Amino acid sequence: MRAKLALLGFFLFASQAVADARISPIKIELDGGRVLASFTLRDAFSPRFSERVDSGLPTSILYRFVLDRDRKRWWDQQLREGTLEVVAMYDAVARAYTVHYKLDDKLIESRTIRDRKSLEEAMTRVEQLPIFSVAGLPREWRLLIKVEAELGSRTILSLIPVTINTDWKDSPKFRAPGIP
Amino acid sequence: MGLRKKILQNRKNHRLIGSGLVALMLLFTGFFYLIQRGRDLPGALLTNRVLLFVLWYVNVLLILVVLFVLLRNMVKLLVERRHRVLGSTFKFKLVATYVGLSLIPVLVLFAIATELLRGSMDRWFNSPVAPVLERGNAVAQGLYDSIEKTNLRDAGRVQREIQDLDLQDPRQRPALTRRMQSLLGELDLDLVAVYEGREFVNGIFNSQSGIPRLPDPDRSFLEAAAQEGHATAVQTPPGTRGSLLLAGVAAPNRPGIVVVVGSLLDPVLTAQREKLVQDYQAYRQLVVQKDDLRASHLLLFLMVTMVILLASSWTGLYLARRVTLPIQALAEGTRRISGGDLSHRVDVVADDELGVLVDSFNRMTEELESNKEQLERNNLELTASNQRLADERALIAAVLENVAAGVVSIDSQGRIFTCNGAALNMLRQREQDVVGRPFEEAWGDPDRKRLAAAVREVGRGGHGSKEIHLTLGGEWKTFELKVTALRDAAGAIQGGVVVIEDLTELIKAQQLAAWNEAARRIAHEIKNPLTPIRLSAERLLRKHQQGDPGLGRAIEEGVEIIVREVVTLQGMVDEFSRYARMPRPHPAPVDLSRLVGETVHLYRNLKAGVEVEGDVDAGLTAVWIDGEQIRRALINLLDNAVEATEAPGQVRIAAHPVNGHLEIQVADTGRGIPAESKEKLFLPYYSTKGRGTGLGLAIVHRIVADHQGAIRVEDNAPRGTVFTVELPIG
Repeated sequence: MRAKLALLGFFLFASQAVADARISPIKIELDGGRVLASFTLRDAFSPRFSERVDSGLPTSILYRFVLDRDRKRWWDQQLREGTLEVVAMYDAVARAYTVHYKLDDKLIESRTIRDRKSLEEAMTRVEQLPIFSVAGLPREWRLLIKVEAELGSRTILSLIPVTINTDWKDSPKFRAPGIP
Repeated sequence: MGLRKKILQNRKNHRLIGSGLVALMLLFTGFFYLIQRGRDLPGALLTNRVLLFVLWYVNVLLILVVLFVLLRNMVKLLVERRHRVLGSTFKFKLVATYVGLSLIPVLVLFAIATELLRGSMDRWFNSPVAPVLERGNAVAQGLYDSIEKTNLRDAGRVQREIQDLDLQDPRQRPALTRRMQSLLGELDLDLVAVYEGREFVNGIFNSQSGIPRLPDPDRSFLEAAAQEGHATAVQTPPGTRGSLLLAGVAAPNRPGIVVVVGSLLDPVLTAQREKLVQDYQAYRQLVVQKDDLRASHLLLFLMVTMVILLASSWTGLYLARRVTLPIQALAEGTRRISGGDLSHRVDVVADDELGVLVDSFNRMTEELESNKEQLERNNLELTASNQRLADERALIAAVLENVAAGVVSIDSQGRIFTCNGAALNMLRQREQDVVGRPFEEAWGDPDRKRLAAAVREVGRGGHGSKEIHLTLGGEWKTFELKVTALRDAAGAIQGGVVVIEDLTELIKAQQLAAWNEAARRIAHEIKNPLTPIRLSAERLLRKHQQGDPGLGRAIEEGVEIIVREVVTLQGMVDEFSRYARMPRPHPAPVDLSRLVGETVHLYRNLKAGVEVEGDVDAGLTAVWIDGEQIRRALINLLDNAVEATEAPGQVRIAAHPVNGHLEIQVADTGRGIPAESKEKLFLPYYSTKGRGTGLGLAIVHRIVADHQGAIRVEDNAPRGTVFTVELPIG
């Protein structure tokens, strides 16, 4: 049984590929009880990714956020998790990109972008995204946000589908402003 | 798990496999249907990431199941082989063959199908359509770019033409409208409008171009133009046929003012361009999704392969088990039976040849068990029989050891097999000198040579008896041998039994009795003449005492009587004297034919009506006998025969060699001899005639015995008596 679980785990682990893209240092701001995250995803527009975007297929970048409680002598405690999905679709007739933003699977914004540079910026730059609420968390807790981006999928050996993920990036640690 | 349980489970699996095959058929039908329908499905569905992952994990699951099934069975088989379970090697080979036969073709087929698919897809995307689409798209986009460039230039001129007008002043609006109208015609535009921020300020359009009303530009377009200084956009306003190409230019010295001009493209051209762009985009999407598309097809292939592999492996294992289980049961049965458990039965129900084999095996086992029981019964009976035989042998041995007669058994090779104590005592030999040696060697010494010869001689005839005389330890011994051949079921001689009877004491007793009888007869015979002698003497004395005048006459008569009787007594004494003085025979070559002829000649015509004949074998010209004694014996026999035969009658004397000895027969057709007299016939002084001395046949018997021969008397057919004398030849 253990052998089977190990084999299954291997396949699950192997279904992820590390992307060339990387996440810049995360800037955290507190707005009352809300945590605003800002960062930039660099080198996301690889030739393959660009080709997919220009083909008119819906192309997304999925950002995963995790709010952890930092513990010195133990593993961090996960408090919350959330996603931001940025989906771009190119209309070759209208020669414009439509970008949708979904926070935790809820559409929060749509934009029409007419040039490529603006599109890259719109998909890779996250400015003051109110990702989590830390209201009610003890003040003495040290918190941090971890971010990972998933840039679609590809196949290995023409057969095995894998998702393209960046490494997890940790934000600077901060404390909740709530209960003293 | 017991073998029976396995077999029962296997029978259940039979139904399970049947159901599985039906399910597999339905599955393949479903796959086929889906593949057929898949042609109509949108490409996005086939390349859907979720679908790919689902397919992949289904395949991973199937691979794990196939590996589990194969490895589990292989490990089990290897363990069975290592533990030397009966039939495991055969099962291993069978399973390996079945699995190999199913595994290799399926994997080869998968590899070929995969390569074919890859090749087909590569050829598909390398087709000449791609450059055509790319060039068409470039032309369409180039047309737009050219129009957009012209529009941007025109928008700049409009902006320069109206820059001196205060757009916020309502009084200058008519001038603005006139100028815009003038430029619309001059620049061959279909739309000219001015916006301040997002707010419309003024605008005109060419109503003859097909634009029903002034369209609202996209907000992002106005913002882009305001921010970047210029922007272009393509719109299809409601109710408009064709695409409206917009170009916006921001006024450099009046922030927020954007001049927008537009050209309406021909609807047909617009449609063609849109179609071209859409096709090109569709092609690009396909190229982008090429890997996913190939992966989805390969995963579908792999899934079908794995299902086939699973089904074929399972079926192969099931078939292997179906063959090997009965064989294992048979092997186990063979092991149990070889271990002695004949009650074991192979409990397998099968309809095929293996079933026949199992039935045959069970029948064979039943027969073995039955035979074993029969053998055990026979063994018990044989043991009892052997015990009985041993008891009987012991009894016989005890009897043989205790009987007075000597019993010697001789095997087919002439070796003495057994020799009882009485025989050893009689022959004065030790057991180790006799048993196991040929009788001719054991009895080859000069004292016993006659015994060996007699056994050989009598044994030729199968059975018979003979009286012999041996001198053992200086003692004269008379033995009677009775030889009986032992024959097997086919009648072949397997040996013989020699019964030796010591007649020495018996003969002595007989001789004593004979002498007693002789004494009685002599006394009687003597008494008979003495009575007349005594009476004559008494008469003479009385006559003398009386002074009888007839004394002289009486003396004459008395003396005559006394002399006559004395003569009789004298004759009797002479006869006895001759019998007593009979010499030992002195054998010499004698022409028996001549001897018999001379003897017969004495009796021819002696008695009227009694014919006397002689018949002697021509070869008997030199027989080692005492001629005179034999002649005397023959005369005595012929004398009796002629006397006993009444006319017309016949007396015949014949001499022939028979079975290595000389046989002389004297046969008559006389009155015969009563059976009770035959036993005493050869005793001295025994006579059936009421006269004579009764020594004739005793003398004959004595002569024959002295010649190591024998004499017997039998009835002649149809009447009369036959005396047979047997003498050794040479």
